[in-house]
Order: sequence, then C-alpha cells, then structure tokens
Amino acid sequence: MVTKLAEKQQPSPSAGGRSATKWIMTLLSSSIGQKFVMGITGLLLCSFLVVHLAGNLLVYVGADAYNTYAKELHSMLLLPVAEVGLFLLLFTHIALAFKLTRDNQRARQVGYQQTQSKIQEKPSLFGQTPMGRTSSWMFISGAIILAFLIVHMIDMKLHLNPSVEYSIKTPEGVVEAKPYDIIIQVLGSLTAPIYIVGTIVLGFHLSHGFWSAFQSLGLNHPKYMPWIKKLAILFAFVIAAGFASLPIWGLFIH
Amino acid sequence: MSETLDLTLKVWRQPGSDAPGRYVEYKLTGISTHMSFLEMLDVLNEQLIAKGEEMIAFDHDCREGICGMCSLMINGQAHGPDTGTTTCQLHMRRFKNRDTIVVEPWRAKAFPVIRDLVVDRSAFDRIIEKGGFISVNTGSAPEANAIPVPAHIQETAMDAAACIGCGACVAACKNASAMLFVSAKVSHLSTLPQGQPERASRAQNMVAQMDLEGFGNCTNTEECQAACPAEISVSNIARLNREYLRAKLCSYE
Repeated sequence: MVTKLAEKQQPSPSAGGRSATKWIMTLLSSSIGQKFVMGITGLLLCSFLVVHLAGNLLVYVGADAYNTYAKELHSMLLLPVAEVGLFLLLFTHIALAFKLTRDNQRARQVGYQQTQSKIQEKPSLFGQTPMGRTSSWMFISGAIILAFLIVHMIDMKLHLNPSVEYSIKTPEGVVEAKPYDIIIQVLGSLTAPIYIVGTIVLGFHLSHGFWSAFQSLGLNHPKYMPWIKKLAILFAFVIAAGFASLPIWGLFIH
Repeated sequence: MSETLDLTLKVWRQPGSDAPGRYVEYKLTGISTHMSFLEMLDVLNEQLIAKGEEMIAFDHDCREGICGMCSLMINGQAHGPDTGTTTCQLHMRRFKNRDTIVVEPWRAKAFPVIRDLVVDRSAFDRIIEKGGFISVNTGSAPEANAIPVPAHIQETAMDAAACIGCGACVAACKNASAMLFVSAKVSHLSTLPQGQPERASRAQNMVAQMDLEGFGNCTNTEECQAACPAEISVSNIARLNREYLRAKLCSYE
C-alpha cells in the first residue's frame, strides 16, 4: 500500500504555478477545465443554431426571400472567417467528446451486472430515450448528429447528392441553380429522412447539453437553475421542431 | 405480509485484489423482515462458517448510517433501493419473498476490489490530504460571535459537510466520477470564513489529485445526487467548477 501511495503523490504541492502558460495548460488538462471548454463550445454552437434556423425558416416566406438571404450571406467578407470559427468550435467539441468519453470508460473497467437509476424525478420531454436517460447518451446522440452533419455537408457544401441538380442548362450555358431550388430538391430527396432523424436527435442532445453547459461553467443558482432547465427543453423543442419541419414540408407538403 | 423471507442472493466473490472473481448464488430461508441488510449478510456468513466455507467480506462499522464504511451495489443501486440512507439502514422488509438480490462491490478503477465486496477507498483519503482541512492551531473554542457567518452560509456548509465519504456517488456514476465527493469537501470549507486562506490551493490541489486517481469526468447525469445517502446536492458540483475556475483565473497560486 505504501508504494502505491507514493506513486500517486503529485510532483509539486501547487497545481497551478505562476508561470504565464503553465496555469493554462493545467486548466486545459484538468477534468473540470475540459468540461468548461465543452460547455463554452456547446453554447456557442447553440447560438449558431439559432441564426441558422432563423435563416432557413425563410424558405417558408418564399423563393425570393430565401435567395436574397443566401446571396447576402455569401457576399459577406467575413463569412469564411466565421466558417473557420464554426469548424474549430465543432472540432474542439467533438475531439473533447472522444477524449472525455474514453477517460470515462477507463474509469470503470469492470462493469456492473445490473444498474438501476435512483433518480425519482420523472423525465421531461426529450428526457428519456429508448436506451435510457438522455443525459447518459450524449456521446451516442452526438455521434448521430455528426453522421447527419456529414450528410448535410455532402448535400449543401460539396453538392454531391446524386438526386439533386445543382446546375441547370440555360441557352447561355450551364449555370448554378438558385439556392432555393437546391434546398427544395434536397428537402424532398432521399436524404430528407436523415434530416428528420438528425434534427430530432439534436433536440435530445440539446435538452441535456444546454443546461449541462451552465452547470459545467459553475452557473447554478436556486434562483435561476430551474428556469435554465425549462429553457433547455423549450430551446431543444424549438430547434428540433423548426429544423425537422423543413424536410417534412419538403417531402410531404411542398 | 409474511414475517420471514426466502431469498436467493447473487454475491460477487473475489478472493483477493489480483484474483479473478465471480458471482456465487446462495439460498437463504426464514430471513426476518425486521433484519437489516447487513444482519442478513451476517446470518449468511454464520451459515458459511458452519459449513466450513470462506465467509463473505464486506465493509461495515457503525451500522447507523454515519460512518460511511458500508457500501454495496444492491440490485444495481448504490446502498439499495431507499434514498438518503446507507446499506446498514436498509431493512429486509424492502424485499419480497423469493426475490433474487444481486450484491456487487463499488466498481471503479480508483476503487480496486480488495476482497469480495470490500473496495479500497483510500483514493478519497489522498484527495482529502490535498486540501480537505484548514491549517490552524486548535486551541480552546473561540468566542462564538467573533466570526459572523450568515445563516444560509451555515446551512450550505453544513449540508456539504454531511458527506460521509462512502463513495456511492462514484459507484452510481456511469463515469465513476468523484465530483460530488470532492465538491462537497471543497464547498464545506470554501464557503466558511475559516476556509478562505487556502481556498484557491484547496480547489486546485484536490481536483488535481482527483484526476490523478483515475476517476471519470462529470457529465451532469445527476445519478450521484440520487444515490447519495447524505443527499448532497449537485449544486455543489457547480460550486466546485466555480471555485476551480476562480482559483485558476483569479488567484496567485
């Protein structure tokens, strides 16, 4: 026992140190620091979802409104910078998810024969998945969202969906189709059911992730935590219903 | 309701820390519903001794829910089906006749099994050694009104201090995270005036040791709070996150 104890002693009593970079490194390599980054990136990605949904709902306003929005958006000088930022947020969030999940699996190498939750509170809307509580399946829901995101990139960024005509022949030659015509085709194509599943799973992910981010940032107070938890359900519902409505509309109504 | 129970027990048996373990079934008859869970295990051990078999090792001490020695995962629940109690406070009247009860040790890399249902929880002691104290010379008790403490702070600190260090939070967490334990210890001291001088080093050093011991990360599933016999709230985990960030960003340590 004595040798084991000695092995686990820390090298120095002060974990931080006063050097200008060392404290950042210990912060980012600690479990709490990594959860902090997870929470910050998650909340920033949530803010992207709001903007993205608002823009996409213009499809319901009409072809002109949507085409103008797309044109204005893509003519913004800082758009590539924003896109790189968004990619970095996603990459950090996903890379940390892999790292933390691997740590968590290593922390219990021999599992239980049976487990049963002692939480008595009834799960809320999105609170329960067929596999258990939503909070226990964040990695799985995240992985499904990532798969959906890859399909989404193939459709909208790489323009490789075989059932969508991204360019049209005109008397003047081949020109790129209008954004509205592309999105209408995508929303009615074979990938549309993936969009429905992906965005509903996103709702489950957000219902836990949104309030969990506040908790990881230390923002928990009896005055506002109940509201944050309610807001998480509302936010998850608005995002999931808003995005899922688009392929449903594209497949069955349009 | 019958006064006695016939039960099947599936118990994890492991002769030593490096030896392989397995589940062994035991039949018990005529168990009084007034017995505590540990008394039921005592009865089983008496029978095993009478048969010349090795008895089941399990941790226990005060048997009144305050020492934090007893553990046991009972049918997949830390300290059994009741909330806010320890295994020693669980009574056999909570079970039905002919039930099968699965009894497992806490499972975590940081809590290696020593024998059968006994695990080594000295990882908690090493975390406490890193900051779960205040460095003052104890003398005669000071004047009670010399250091004013608001009532709600007293309540917060006392609620956190209720932690008995049993490890149910780690056992119930799907990530085997010790955040509830560490957060209770940090909250208990950092909310009180006496804990202020070491506030920043305490949060940093205890978290560093927690990570070093190989506990998992907190994913806010709140299973720890539900399993805790002292009903420690996860709001303490948010406080620990705050304390840690505050120490990293605002202190000179």
